[in-house]
Amino acid sequence: MFFKKINIWYLSSFLISLIVAIPILTVFSSFFDTTGNYSIILKNTFLYEYIFNSLVLLIGVLTLTFLIGVTCAYLVSFYNFPGVNFFKWALILSFAVPAYIYAYSLTAFFENYGTAFSILKNIFGEANYNSYIPKFDGMTGAILSISFSLFGYVYVLTRASFHYQSQNLIELGKNLGFSKKKSFLNIILPSARPAIVAGLSLVAMETLSDFGSVSFFGVSTLTTGIYNAWISFDDLALANRLSFYLLIFILGLFILENFSRKKAQYHTPTKSGLKKKMLIDLTGRKSFLAFSFCALVFFVSFLFPVLQMLYWTISFPKHLVDLNLIKLFSNTMLLVILSSILLISLSFISNYGNRVTRSKLLGVLTTFSVSGYAIPGIILAVAFITFISWFDNNIISFFGLKTIKSIFIGSVFGLILVYFIRFYSLASNGLKSGYLKINYSIDESAYLLGYSKLKTFTNIHLPYLKNSMLLIGILITIEIIKELPITLIMRPFNFETFATTAYIFASQDLLEAAAAPSLFLIIIASFFILITSRYILKD
Amino acid sequence: MKKFFLEIDNVTFTASAKNKVNNVSFQIENKGDIICLLGPSGIGKTTILRTIAGLERIDSGKITLNNRVISSNDTYVEPENRNISLAFQDNSLFPHYNVIQNIEFGAERNKDKKKNLNINEVIKFLHLEHIKDKYPHQISSGEAQRASLARSLLSNPDLLLLDEPLSNIDQNFKEEIQVKLKKILTEHKITTIIVTHDSYEAFYLGTKCGIILDGQLKQYDDPYNVYHFPNSIEVVNFLNRGTLIPAKVTGENTLESLDLGTIKGNFIKHYPKGSDVKLLIQPEDLEHDDGSNLKLEVVDRQFRGTNFIYTLKTPSNLMIPVFVHSHHIHQHEVDEKFGIKRPINIDHIVCF
Repeated sequence: MFFKKINIWYLSSFLISLIVAIPILTVFSSFFDTTGNYSIILKNTFLYEYIFNSLVLLIGVLTLTFLIGVTCAYLVSFYNFPGVNFFKWALILSFAVPAYIYAYSLTAFFENYGTAFSILKNIFGEANYNSYIPKFDGMTGAILSISFSLFGYVYVLTRASFHYQSQNLIELGKNLGFSKKKSFLNIILPSARPAIVAGLSLVAMETLSDFGSVSFFGVSTLTTGIYNAWISFDDLALANRLSFYLLIFILGLFILENFSRKKAQYHTPTKSGLKKKMLIDLTGRKSFLAFSFCALVFFVSFLFPVLQMLYWTISFPKHLVDLNLIKLFSNTMLLVILSSILLISLSFISNYGNRVTRSKLLGVLTTFSVSGYAIPGIILAVAFITFISWFDNNIISFFGLKTIKSIFIGSVFGLILVYFIRFYSLASNGLKSGYLKINYSIDESAYLLGYSKLKTFTNIHLPYLKNSMLLIGILITIEIIKELPITLIMRPFNFETFATTAYIFASQDLLEAAAAPSLFLIIIASFFILITSRYILKD
Repeated sequence: MKKFFLEIDNVTFTASAKNKVNNVSFQIENKGDIICLLGPSGIGKTTILRTIAGLERIDSGKITLNNRVISSNDTYVEPENRNISLAFQDNSLFPHYNVIQNIEFGAERNKDKKKNLNINEVIKFLHLEHIKDKYPHQISSGEAQRASLARSLLSNPDLLLLDEPLSNIDQNFKEEIQVKLKKILTEHKITTIIVTHDSYEAFYLGTKCGIILDGQLKQYDDPYNVYHFPNSIEVVNFLNRGTLIPAKVTGENTLESLDLGTIKGNFIKHYPKGSDVKLLIQPEDLEHDDGSNLKLEVVDRQFRGTNFIYTLKTPSNLMIPVFVHSHHIHQHEVDEKFGIKRPINIDHIVCF
């Protein structure tokens, strides 16, 4: 029976899943490698600091994103107050600001003689304001930057859960004589728990894999440890070993997220069961407080970094003039277009292969390989280089062939391949959720009407999934525009994007020069977020 | 050797590791015959259709259509190459096409064949005119089922498979559609296998009926024979059309029952004199007679429109169903005595 299932679709899906699984397998296999002396030094010195810092960062970010995300979602889902319809979508614009750019803005504003100082000086005249201006650097800065750029995950998922929450459930609370507070704590919040946990898990994974902002603030975490082990100490095996520890941690979170997402399905009512929720009109002080909270979050998470970057771009026009905007834009879009085409087409093949063969083995392999999204970009890049080096040294040289390193390392091709591995789950899961809406009997009806598998794919699936495809393409675009560590490590020499240009200037303490590329990055990402906001808020 | 239009030869149909229909053999003799498969839910009827359509494979046996082996241990014709159409029980319309576009998918197939059904005629008979431009999510499950049926009919297949085709359809349409469906299938000689759990539907539509119980094809026969000459106690219980009472064979044409006395009739199978048997009493076997001295107690009365079914309790606590025409001069209430005409004559005696 097993061999009967093997066909071109099966083989293609198997191969795709295997490619995506390479970094995970490489990291796991590194556990058996010997590491250099640095591992002993690290164990005696910084390892526990790395772990401690990672945990503090994680707890801080989770607390803050939970408070901001759930409160915003609750306010816009259950109440009517001025600007509520604006805030519903405006709050997701925070997705356009990567944590590292937020970090630049935070520093630029609050640093000695920074923007805050200039504002105070212009209003109140010359004085020593520096000692009165709070400094958000180090761990505090990292927690704030990451929280304000990631709370959107909690907001979007919790809001969706509140949105689909049955009106009957709320009426039931009223019927039982619950106060608003008791209804919220005993009914609304517990039923949205899986969505909140799912959002927090995504935040946790992104936090642990953050490189840009922690390295900017000089906070040593496991991720920066991996980078240091590889770049500063040239110990690839140790970098992989550290990745292994981080991966175990992240896989735990991934399982938690997966588990809670499965539960979340129980909270999706049927079409007929969804009754339009009655929004409560807020007036007076309560209305003002709700408005102020959402306005503050919107300002701090989006307007603040945009204005800061805009201010510096205008203040230092020389950097804008020096910037080769066309080159940066074309480089970024080249990566976006090639990656989107690769990701969407291969995800289609893999999903369709899974659907056609219904093989359990393939299903398990696909699930395993999509867990790649839980792996920090930096680990992916390091693991990919490790694998290519191993393959080149052992397999290619064994056959006496020419080295392939230059094809895969420091090339656009290699960069796109790692993007592919990093964002495969985004594309694959996106298509999968589209496919879940197509009953198997639809395919079978097509076969029975004389359609071949390929014709069913092109005539039935493609037209049906074109919206999903577009949405996935845009989500990939947003992610790639913001992506930093993979691009930084894998890009060809002198090949820059908005993200890498901003990072390089910032790492040279030229924050004012980082402003223009950061601003363009935010503008482009915002544009794509806005055209997909309807879908993001819906699902 | 006789050639059949469709031959299922010793095939095991596997729905899951636990749910199988084993070693099934039956044939459809002529093009245009209609076969109905009856059985309880979850027994594997749909799996049989899916396997014939090529959506499931087989490990043993052979399926031959029009003298071509389409499934066996070493042969497997892809579903798209079988020219078999299956109308699913649930909504299988393409969600991004409206009803008429969905139906046209069917009409497109085999459009060069002669004797094509007229699309407008099918739409009219299935009452689909008013939903032609609607999308599948905008119509009811009954309407979706009718649209799916139209698509399958219009695809002009060699073999049409219908999985509970009328299960979601409103009662007021159901009988009308049954009549027209039978007319269309017969007129166009469309060979069909229908899966249903409604025995009346099966008896009306089918030229032959198969009863699937306990993982086996228990009986495959004309509807009349399945009803009147069930070949096992399981079939009797499934059709729920009578009661088995203990009796002793007393002669070539007679039996003796403790509760009903002497019963005469023609045995459909020979039993030696003196044998203890279980006699099938169907509702139409006994006649009501107010003047009879054989009186049984009424425990229930069901009004079925054209008739009543009285359930009577015998002295040994057996429950016996009896038909009475609903125009009968008077009705009997629960706990009243109800007379049974004597001597009891049953046209054909079914015993086990």
